[in-house]
Amino acid sequence: MMKTLNRTGSNTAWLRLLAMSLALALLAAACGGGDDEGDDDEGVDTEETADAADGDAATESSDPSEGDTESDSDGDAVLAEPDEPASGSDAATTLRAGMIGDEASLNPYTYITGFPGWNLLMMQYDSLMQIDGDGIPQPWLAETVDVSDDGLTYSLTLAEGVTFNDGETLDASDVAFTVDYFLNNSQSRFSRALAGVTGAEATGDLTVDITLEAANPSFPLSTLSDVPIIPEHVWSEVTDPENHQFDSVTNVGSGPYVLTDYAPDQSYTMEANPDYFRGAPAVDELVLVQFADDTGAQAAIRSGEVDVIFDGVSPEQVPLLDAQDPIDIVQGPEFSTDLLYYDASKAPFDDVAVRQAMSLAMDRQDIVDTVFLGAATPGSAGWIHPDQVSFNPDVETTTDVEQANGLLEDAGYTDSDGDGIREADGEPMSYELITPSDNTLRLRTAELVSEMLAEIGIGAEVTSVESTTWEEAVWPGFDIANGRNYDLAMWGWSAPIQADASRVASLVHSDPSIGALNLTAFSNPEMDEVAQALTVEGDPDTRLELIGELQTLFAEQLPFVTLLYRDGAYAYNSEVYGEWEFIAGQGIVSKLSLLPAEARP
Amino acid sequence: MGRLDTRRIAQYLLVLVIAVTINFLLPRFMPGNPLALIAGVDVGLLTPEQRAEIVTAAGLDQSLLQQYVQYWGNLLTGDLGFSYRSSRPIIEMITERLPWTLLLTLASLAISALVGVTTGAISAWRRGKASDLTSLTTMISLESMPPFWLGMLLISGFAVTLGILPSFGAETAASGLTGWDRALDIAQHAVLPVATLSIVSTPAVYLTMRYSMLETLGEDYIRTARAKGASEARLLFRHVARNALAPVLTVLAIRLGFAFGGTVVIETVFSYPGLGRLTFEAVGGRDYPVMQAAFLVFTIAMLLANLAADLIYPVLDPRTRASR
Repeated sequence: MMKTLNRTGSNTAWLRLLAMSLALALLAAACGGGDDEGDDDEGVDTEETADAADGDAATESSDPSEGDTESDSDGDAVLAEPDEPASGSDAATTLRAGMIGDEASLNPYTYITGFPGWNLLMMQYDSLMQIDGDGIPQPWLAETVDVSDDGLTYSLTLAEGVTFNDGETLDASDVAFTVDYFLNNSQSRFSRALAGVTGAEATGDLTVDITLEAANPSFPLSTLSDVPIIPEHVWSEVTDPENHQFDSVTNVGSGPYVLTDYAPDQSYTMEANPDYFRGAPAVDELVLVQFADDTGAQAAIRSGEVDVIFDGVSPEQVPLLDAQDPIDIVQGPEFSTDLLYYDASKAPFDDVAVRQAMSLAMDRQDIVDTVFLGAATPGSAGWIHPDQVSFNPDVETTTDVEQANGLLEDAGYTDSDGDGIREADGEPMSYELITPSDNTLRLRTAELVSEMLAEIGIGAEVTSVESTTWEEAVWPGFDIANGRNYDLAMWGWSAPIQADASRVASLVHSDPSIGALNLTAFSNPEMDEVAQALTVEGDPDTRLELIGELQTLFAEQLPFVTLLYRDGAYAYNSEVYGEWEFIAGQGIVSKLSLLPAEARP
Repeated sequence: MGRLDTRRIAQYLLVLVIAVTINFLLPRFMPGNPLALIAGVDVGLLTPEQRAEIVTAAGLDQSLLQQYVQYWGNLLTGDLGFSYRSSRPIIEMITERLPWTLLLTLASLAISALVGVTTGAISAWRRGKASDLTSLTTMISLESMPPFWLGMLLISGFAVTLGILPSFGAETAASGLTGWDRALDIAQHAVLPVATLSIVSTPAVYLTMRYSMLETLGEDYIRTARAKGASEARLLFRHVARNALAPVLTVLAIRLGFAFGGTVVIETVFSYPGLGRLTFEAVGGRDYPVMQAAFLVFTIAMLLANLAADLIYPVLDPRTRASR
């Protein structure tokens, strides 16, 4: 018996979750690249391309060993709806969108960052499934997606009459070719997204079977909704895709737009594909103009030179932009995080009492109000966002300076010389708190954190350093085998890490092969056990229990301090175009937003 | 025309070698590595083999000396390599951006030379009078303005508030303009960046011209000319200004060299697609080959500007001609 994946039916709940995590993953992919620090100004995490922490996580979620991502839960409320839905003109002849940085020639092997690179790439290409506004994968190039009972075979039936924009038909052999090509030419991110796929076989003109090594419930989200289908008749002649000098305007895909011009560091021009299989796009011409930084992009939307900005705008810009007619703002929750990191393998941070005291000293609401002007959610000591279905309401996050001081006193950290700073083993508890210089919000957060730590007799001197220097201190060589060179640091992960509870293992597990992102050198046998159980457990109820337990442990052990989760805010000119679809983690400028309502899934 | 002797040429070559060496070393001493290009969660998941592959592909597994020798080899054969980020040939990336930077630098240099020399000459001529003091004060205040701040101020005023000039870019994207219409469009886009660059570079020219004029005015031959009854205008332009120009020329040559580097800030503020912006993005992305190539261009520009000054100086001032 085969079960069919679609919007109705019993699979909806877990699909929703998968979808959400994929959406977040893709969006995070958007944040990937870790390119220039220039863009990494104050903004929601989705736009922090420079933040090493904000990784290209789409590939990660596609790792079959990651397994199911929260297949429990009824799926509601995970991806919150935008606070303010977008509205305005529903068609446009020319739309100018501001983006930050260059994405080189936009083909699957050369685009640079996950965001906005992947979003732009997918304007020209289609994937087999497409996530909808709720982040759930829906049939797209594949009209039906059936999965075998053992979860190892996906049988797809393609939509009829889909053509590439050079007029050639897109059929099952192109799908099989795409899978083989990415697997055989591994320099693409999509090769990693397809890891765990053993092969793809065309079983008819429009039917194809994709087989996996191991069952992977997130496959529709992490792979089918991510990988662009490339035309066999073009790519079969490309032997060295990474260094192949594509003519930037000859990318051939089946997508709603065709790239017609690329001027490096200036713009991309895309024309609508009137024959698009889901219907002609609502915007005829898409001009993507490149800015060096977000200050330039925001000036340009205010002067009317661009109509929408890919990247989120910072909290202090929101009221300014919103007040200007005809600029409107779409806002919604996103799961990127701001965290206080410490090296928990070093004294005194190896003492749980110190970590607890530091968490108690944090007035998270104050940071949200002061630094983010309310555009964020205070962090839970248990790490999981309160809007997530797997949030454990028994975990309380409190601010109690008195209790924190009491904990430190009891643990023997006293201020013997009366200078306001406690001593640990005779040494004053004064540390450097490093933060990247190009992330204003994080810098301001660090300053508040420092003041709050001072109240419990811990000195934290905020040092703002160039962002690669900061990365090198916390995550030398991006390999935890190289150790860590910091005491205190501001850190953050992009949305997918927060969205997928299974990932906690990679953040806290003491075995480097599992805890590849354990940058705080945290080690606790009990947490190792629960976190690892979560990566293999398939039963939804058991998973929910484990996640709940993990949050309790998290709040008690504090592998790091979760300060807050940022919200996203995106600006557009409602007179030019207003039918924006907010997908948490992907912002509003994506393929879906430019299709007429009836063509959206 | 002045000529270069062997010693001079050797000096220039030595400076070039040192500059190239520094260009080579600097990026490698910066923190961070090409792995940052695939930064984030993904990096944590790479196998040691995959990491090694990336490092090898970037040639960073070789010894510093090997890399250095190879670097020179490539340079001498005109091969600047490929960008880590975009995989494009760097020479291509540079040649498509060079014209934009040249447009900004040359236009602003011409404006600052014209304005600086004229106002400097007039200022010195009217030394101590109200007009001299006013222009002196103005120029000194302008010189102390941070270029990025000035640029943002101009954007805010002329693009956002008044809406009469474009705030970014070198031309309107996808405008389809050709010929004179396109030239006009490009000119409009250049106004604010050129104005910013001109404003920040005029004071140096002005001050040099003014001091150089004052010095010349005190020379004996000026007194002689005046005594012979030369007209004020003839005196100012034929005798004083011409002789005072030599030091200004040096300043201009040096500014030309600096102007290339100075466009990094301006091209970032105005999102202008020139070499400065390329450098900015390359530094951010730890794109070593592009960084090196861009710095190399700046270095060569600097050396050429100096060379030009060396060659022209003797023409203006016969006393500096090398005796042979």
